[in-house]
Amino acid sequence: MNKYDESWEQQINALLDGELDKADADELKTAATDDRELARAIVEAYQLQQLMDEIPVEWAPASLGKCLRAIPREQRSSSRIKLLQPRWVTAFAAVPLVIIAVSMMQTDTPSDAEIVKAKQELAIAFAYLDKAGAVTGRRIESTVSNTMVDAVTGSVNKAIKLQNENSKEKEV
Amino acid sequence: MKRSMRHKFFIGLFCTLLSLPAIGQEDELKDLPGFVDFGDLSSLYGEPKIIINLGGTMLNFVGMMSSSESPETADLISKLKGIRVMMYDTEENSDVAKNQFAKVKSTLKSSGWEPIVQVNEDDEQVMIYMKMDGDNMEGLTVMVVDDEEAVFVNVIGQLNPEELGKVMETLDVDMDLDLD
Repeated sequence: MNKYDESWEQQINALLDGELDKADADELKTAATDDRELARAIVEAYQLQQLMDEIPVEWAPASLGKCLRAIPREQRSSSRIKLLQPRWVTAFAAVPLVIIAVSMMQTDTPSDAEIVKAKQELAIAFAYLDKAGAVTGRRIESTVSNTMVDAVTGSVNKAIKLQNENSKEKEV
Repeated sequence: MKRSMRHKFFIGLFCTLLSLPAIGQEDELKDLPGFVDFGDLSSLYGEPKIIINLGGTMLNFVGMMSSSESPETADLISKLKGIRVMMYDTEENSDVAKNQFAKVKSTLKSSGWEPIVQVNEDDEQVMIYMKMDGDNMEGLTVMVVDDEEAVFVNVIGQLNPEELGKVMETLDVDMDLDLD
C-alpha cells in the first residue's frame, strides 16, 4: 500500500463494519490484489477487530454505579452547604438591612398640603424678618432725625441768643 | 487572620447599617454653622405660640413650587438651608426673655456672629446678628422682645434683605404681626 491514505483506511473500516457497498468492496479487493501492503492492512484490521470482539465485557459493580450516579447530587448539595456558610449568611442578612436603611434614608416626598403649609410658615418667618427690619429702621430713623433736630435747633438757638446779646450790647 | 478581618468587616458593616436610620432622623439643621440654639423658655411662658422649623429639603420643595410663579422667590429660597421661628407670649413679663436674650447674645458673640442692629429701649429690644464666612452669609438671627411677645428667628444660609420685600409680595400670605 504505497499510496495508502485515509481514503483506504475509511474503506477498510467501512468494509469491516459491513457498510461498504458491493462496487466499492470489489474495487478494494482488486486494489488489494495488486497492492500487498493494502492487503496486509486489511488483514491486520480484520484481526484487530476479531481480538476486540473476543475481549469480555466486565460490568461495573452496583456500588460503583451508585457512587457515580450520586456525584451530581453531591455537587448540588455542596453548593447549598457553601451558601449556608457564615459569610454568605451574613451577606444575605445584610441585604434586607441595606434595603431598610436605604428606604429610611430616602426623602419622603411631602404632600401638596404640607408644601403649602411650609410656604405659609416661610412667609410668616419672612414677615417677622421684614417687620423686625422695619422696627429697627424706624428706630434708627427717629434717633438720627432727633439728633439732627437737636443739632439744628441747638445751633439756631445759639445764633439767636448771640444775636440778641449783640443787639443788647449795641443798645447799651 | 483573614477570617478575623472578615468578621470585623461584617461587624462594622452591621453597626454602620444599624446607625443609618438614626443619622437620617437627626435634625439636619443642628450641624449647620448658621444654626443658633435659642434655649427653651417654655417652662415660664408655656409652649411657643409659633414654632417653625423648615429644613433644606422642605425649602427645596417650596422653591420648586414657587419657581413657576416667581423665579425670584425660588432663587431666594434656593440659597436657604433652613429657617426657624419661635414666638412666645410673654404676658407682660419680659424679664426672663430679656435674660435669655443676653445669654444668646453672648453665645453669638463668642461664636463669630456680628451685630448688625440693636435697639435697646425700655419697652422693646431688637437684635439682628449675622454670621459670615468670607463673603458668604452663613446665617441671620433676629430676636425681638417686648411686653407682649418674644420672637426668635434663625435663618440658615444666604438671604439678601433687599430681595425679601419682593418675595413677601409673591408669597402673598395675610398676617397680622404685632411687632410694632
